Amino acid sequence: MFRKIVKNFGPEWGAAVMGTAAICITMQLSSEVSRFFSPLLYVGVGFYLLTTVMLIAFLIPWTLRFFMYPEEIKKDLQNPVRGNFFPTMPISFILAGTGTNKLGPMLFGPSLAYHLSIVFFFLGAIGIFTFGFLLVRTQFLNKDIHLEHANFSWFIPPVSHLIIPVLGACSMDVYWAGTPLAPVLFIISMIALGVGFLNFLFVGAAVWHRYIYHTIPQGRLAPTVMVGIAPTAIIVIFLMKFIQAIEASHGTLFGINLMSIFSSIKIVASMLWGFSFWWLILAAILFTHYVKIKDHPLEFGWWAYTFPFEAFVVATGLLAQCVATHFLHGVLITLNTLVVIVWIIIVVGTVKWLESGAFFKPQH
Amino acid sequence: MKPRSIIIALIIILVPFAIGIPLFIAKRSEAAHQKIHFTTDTRKNAEGLTYKGIKVDWSFSSDWKYKPLFFKAEEYLVFMFHYTNDNQHDVQLMPSYTLVSPGDRDYSANEEIAMYIEDRLEDELRVNDETSITYKISPGTIKHYIVTFEKAQSLDSFYVDVDVFRDVALRIHYEKKDRVWVNYENELVKKYKGRG
Repeated sequence: MFRKIVKNFGPEWGAAVMGTAAICITMQLSSEVSRFFSPLLYVGVGFYLLTTVMLIAFLIPWTLRFFMYPEEIKKDLQNPVRGNFFPTMPISFILAGTGTNKLGPMLFGPSLAYHLSIVFFFLGAIGIFTFGFLLVRTQFLNKDIHLEHANFSWFIPPVSHLIIPVLGACSMDVYWAGTPLAPVLFIISMIALGVGFLNFLFVGAAVWHRYIYHTIPQGRLAPTVMVGIAPTAIIVIFLMKFIQAIEASHGTLFGINLMSIFSSIKIVASMLWGFSFWWLILAAILFTHYVKIKDHPLEFGWWAYTFPFEAFVVATGLLAQCVATHFLHGVLITLNTLVVIVWIIIVVGTVKWLESGAFFKPQH
Repeated sequence: MKPRSIIIALIIILVPFAIGIPLFIAKRSEAAHQKIHFTTDTRKNAEGLTYKGIKVDWSFSSDWKYKPLFFKAEEYLVFMFHYTNDNQHDVQLMPSYTLVSPGDRDYSANEEIAMYIEDRLEDELRVNDETSITYKISPGTIKHYIVTFEKAQSLDSFYVDVDVFRDVALRIHYEKKDRVWVNYENELVKKYKGRG
């Protein structure tokens, strides 16, 4: 039975860890809105611990599959949909690291938590860059990829690179600011930001092209539209964390002065947040379309509805720390409630999907 | 769905709440029993400093204990800064804080510990902490901000730079005398302005 599980344990399972991990951050941010919401910080710890259990539980079969069934891995890597889900596991490392950075001090004290999050940073970054190159190479050399294969899951590799600087900036924030590790974190983060941002633009154009000049993907890929919210939302998160890192470094980090960039960052972050909000509405419109034509089957891919939405909520919470605080705090609390509802629906859906036996019949 | 599947789904969904709520109750009751001693509260003796119409006061606890769930408690240096706007117009503040120990070792404020102890400190001082990076203070009103520093072992003196004004920083000096932290000097230090 275990061998059968390993064989069918697709690369997409990291998406479930991602969708659970980000809630610990939305909870933490919501807990800061007012005293009434303080318990949410501890609910966030609950989500953090659940994430840790999921990460360990999923990482075992996910890793074993590389050694026990390399031909399955090869097949998945060639697949224009499934292949893009490989980076979800290293992204989970970065998210677990971010959770450890924010909530770990409550469990293990600051020193151990900040060291652990650095381990997660390097493991995640290595995995993301490795899969990034592997997937681009596969896409470029694969003769069987056509226009009708383009879909928004192609955003996952750029998103994976964009998430690296989030943990990089979180780590530069307090403990590692002013240490020899800070420039290393900064350089890795900036490389990843550049790769993620430009790839987001290139890939976005390619997928947009398909949506305009070809038919839109079938219903089982409907949730991938949601991934489009993530890139700009994650850049907002990075910008806000980066501002905090500069602030923590006595107002100047690597010669970048807080006062000289703060206004520009507020404008850029607000614009990018606006784009994510626009995409959220676009995703809702397309979701309605798929539901209307009764082409929205129960799939594991539903997890694509969770993380991008949560990233948007985190972006809202962080943006509220310097722009339209009261208004965005209201939005944050509303969205955090919606995030939990969506997560509950997806958990129930996944259990139902597993019960149907679909796990052992992967669709390529 | 089969009953077994419903139970599995329910367990997964309830786990974060089943961990979080009891943890919140336990931590709140632990904090309620914690004795807090403030070494300094400049508001009591009008010892705060005013510059450009902004009055800065602070309350300081030198031995705030915080116990992580799985490890032993550690002591932190906890400040609550109180900013009063004595101007006739609104002011926008974006302060940052640095602790410097002997040997010019810099420490940034720990946002996470500040977040965990926020409720208890607010209860003790009966004020509300600002959570945003930047905040507006209307004339005659006060805003409060928690700043927590990790306490280095065998620390016997330090100063904290409160970078709240554009051209100067408020430097608060502390020294340990007979096991008691004494705020022996406060000064406004000029900041470097220019290129280079």
